[in-house]
Amino acid sequence: MTAPLFALLVNAVAVLLLVGAFANSGKLLGPRSRREGDADMPYETGLPPLSPANERMTVLYWRFAVLFVVFDVDLAFLLPWALGRPALDAVMVWAVTGFVALLSFMLAYFWRKGILECR
Amino acid sequence: MNALFPSAALAAGVLGSLGLGFLPRRAPALLRVLAVLSLGSALLLLGRVGEGAALPPLIASDALALAWQSVILLAALPMALWLDSDDARAALFLGSTLGMLLLASASNLLMLFVGLEFMSLPAYLLVVRSRGDEGRRLEAATKYFFAGGVGGALFLLGMALWYAQTRSLGPSALLVTGGAQAGLALMGACALFKIGAVPLHFWLPDAYEASDPEVAGFFSTAMKAAAVLLLMRLCRYAPGAAFAAWLPAVGALTALVGAVMALRQERLARLLAYSSVSHAGLLILGVGAWAARGLPPEGVSALLFYLAAYAFMSNGAFAFLRASGARTRADLAGYARRSPALAAAFAALLFSLAGIPPTGGFFAKLLVLWQSVQSGLLVPAGVAALAALVSLGFYLGLVRALYLEEPAGEGPRPGPGAGLTAALAAGAVLLGLAPWALAGGGL
Repeated sequence: MTAPLFALLVNAVAVLLLVGAFANSGKLLGPRSRREGDADMPYETGLPPLSPANERMTVLYWRFAVLFVVFDVDLAFLLPWALGRPALDAVMVWAVTGFVALLSFMLAYFWRKGILECR
Repeated sequence: MNALFPSAALAAGVLGSLGLGFLPRRAPALLRVLAVLSLGSALLLLGRVGEGAALPPLIASDALALAWQSVILLAALPMALWLDSDDARAALFLGSTLGMLLLASASNLLMLFVGLEFMSLPAYLLVVRSRGDEGRRLEAATKYFFAGGVGGALFLLGMALWYAQTRSLGPSALLVTGGAQAGLALMGACALFKIGAVPLHFWLPDAYEASDPEVAGFFSTAMKAAAVLLLMRLCRYAPGAAFAAWLPAVGALTALVGAVMALRQERLARLLAYSSVSHAGLLILGVGAWAARGLPPEGVSALLFYLAAYAFMSNGAFAFLRASGARTRADLAGYARRSPALAAAFAALLFSLAGIPPTGGFFAKLLVLWQSVQSGLLVPAGVAALAALVSLGFYLGLVRALYLEEPAGEGPRPGPGAGLTAALAAGAVLLGLAPWALAGGGL
């Protein structure tokens, strides 16, 4: 077995041991608690919880939120463009113009499709 | 820049179909015309690209890329004729095809990955935007998405290993070892994922069954062609890629498992999905045989012919599902009496899928098996031949249901597309009568 592969093996074993230790040490070392009655109840400012936590709920603006993330990431591309090009040549200007035009087109498309409305 | 013109035609198609979404009224016919124009002009522009056109270091249109791009565009054409008034779905379809073109001409791992994801992401959404039962659609798309995500992660991990060893994302002219070989193997596993090789095929029947038949046809032909090319490119990425030695075994196993699983299916879409797994096995075996002979540039004609023939057969079989409305085997009982012409077309397609002469499917299987034997891969070729024999069981069983069983009940409600089914069946048979038209020197 070559040296880097051996190192990888040692690393993998160490990771498994460490993670295993972290995950289980609480159970092994911690005080035994009697879990009965309200001990398992989720803590919610001292009041009894109104409903289970994993209930489905409507998020009216989820499309809006997804679109926001998408456009946010797309606009983040403009930052390296602006920083990396102190002297803007024509190609770069047109490239970014096309990119922004594409984003605007998509924004108009979503607008037309009624996705920007909170429903 | 020449190399990007066909992709630009498809990109224009994507934007155009979204633009049609601005119209006050739904326009399915316009969408269809736009998609066909976009694919057709991409095909025409492909003829003018010329071998060697490149955009270094990302894109290089070699002979392999040009041949595969034309197969991909032809295989995508039937789906364009099926588009309905959903403009986003048309854009997703054209976008996925655009990703395949980029994947086919990529000369750099980064571009391969971009092409791969460009092809796959719209595919998940195409499953979601099908017409069937919503719960089933979402379940299949979720499975497909997570399976595809794992595939993409494998590719990225392999890419990282490759870069760590060779300090480049381009192909290597030198022998590589250790990490780079492991990287190639991981990326190969991603390609096998996309092709649907056993044991990475579990997402495939669900995805094919839950999506519309025409979408399943598109997945099983165009996407499979792109994934096969990805596998071939990885085999060629460095001299002596070690994972290529495993391909014949994987291919033979895939062919056999696909055929055996298809025997037990009652629902037709699922049956065709397993049949497509079985065909994928033969394609992988073909890639393995090509690699075993030292990757000769002229030795790809068998694979190309297989993919072209399969584009007709699989698109045609799925088109029949749409045209006849049949969902289960029972729906097919006595179908020849209800609609003799359509039943005859489906029977021809089944004969071709089973590989009975004189059809395109026969020569496709013959060429791949012949090349495997020539490469000394006797055992995998034998197993694949056994799989072809097993697959006769369900293909001929369907033909028997069409012609010999008594029709019961109302029968399925027919849909559009009988003409397209007949045309694709005719194509599959014609390829068998004149295989040299495509295979060229490969025979």
